[in-house]
Amino acid sequence: MKEFELEPGEHVVLHVRKHWFLFLTELLPYAIIAVIPFAIPNLLSLAPPMASYADIFNYHEPLARAGLGVWLLMSWTAAWGAFTRYFLNEWVLTSQRIVNIKQRRFFSREVSSLFLSRIQDVTTDVSGVIPSLLGIGNIKAQTAAEDIEFVMHGIPRPEQMRDLILKYVPEEDPQATGI
Amino acid sequence: MTDQPLQPFAPPAFFESGMYGSTLGNRLFSTGAVVIGILLVVFIIWAVYTLVAVYHWFKYSNASWIIFPAVAAHFFISFALMAYALSGNAFFLMSYLP
Repeated sequence: MKEFELEPGEHVVLHVRKHWFLFLTELLPYAIIAVIPFAIPNLLSLAPPMASYADIFNYHEPLARAGLGVWLLMSWTAAWGAFTRYFLNEWVLTSQRIVNIKQRRFFSREVSSLFLSRIQDVTTDVSGVIPSLLGIGNIKAQTAAEDIEFVMHGIPRPEQMRDLILKYVPEEDPQATGI
Repeated sequence: MTDQPLQPFAPPAFFESGMYGSTLGNRLFSTGAVVIGILLVVFIIWAVYTLVAVYHWFKYSNASWIIFPAVAAHFFISFALMAYALSGNAFFLMSYLP
C-alpha cells in the first residue's frame, strides 16, 4: 500500500467502500440535471402561453445541439468525478488496524488509522427500511478513551464487518491487567 | 506643432465592417465564433478536470483493475458528447440523443 506501510506480520484483510446504493443516490442529482434539457420542452408545451419558447429547444438546430452536448458533457464529467471520489474513499481492515482513507475532493486526502488493540467496543447501527433491506449500516468503534470514536458510515453488511473486526481485536492478556 | 482641426474618430474599415456589417456573416463576433469560443473554454475545463481525476486514479487506486474501464468509459462517452456538440454525430450514443 502506498498510503500506509504495513507492519511486519500485518496483512490486509478487507477493503470496504460505501454501499453501492448510497453511490447511486449520490448520482441522482447528476441524472436529474442531465434530464432537464429533455424535460423543459415537454413542460413548456404543457403551458400554452409558454409553448412558443419550446422552439428554442429544438435540438436539430446546431446551436441548441451544441448547448445540449455541452450540458451533457458537464453532467457526465461531474458524475464521473463523483464516482472517482466514491472509489477513492475506503476503509481498509488489516490484521492490526482499521485505516480510514477519506478523499474529500481532489487534492484533499486524509488517511487515519485506529489500531485494533485500542478498540474496546464495536457497535453497528442499521436504521431505516431501505438500509435494512439492503444491509446498509454504520459501525462505531470506540476506544478506551471515550472521546475517540471511529465511525464507518454506510457500509455494506455491517454485522459481518463488526464480527471481522472483533475477530482481529487481540485478546487482553489477563496478567497484564492484573486479573 | 501645427494646429490641426479635430477629426472625428474613425474605426478601421475592417473593424467597422465586422461590427456593423449588414449580414450576420460579416459580424466580427458572429454567433458561430461565440459558440466555438464557448465550446473551446468548456473543452479546456474538461481536459484539466479529466487530467486531475486521472492523476488521482493512478496515484490512489492502488493498481486496481477498475481504473482502466473507468477512464476508458469517461473518454469514450466524453468524446462522443463532444462530437455531438460539434457535428451532431454522437457515434454509439446517437440512439439516445435527438
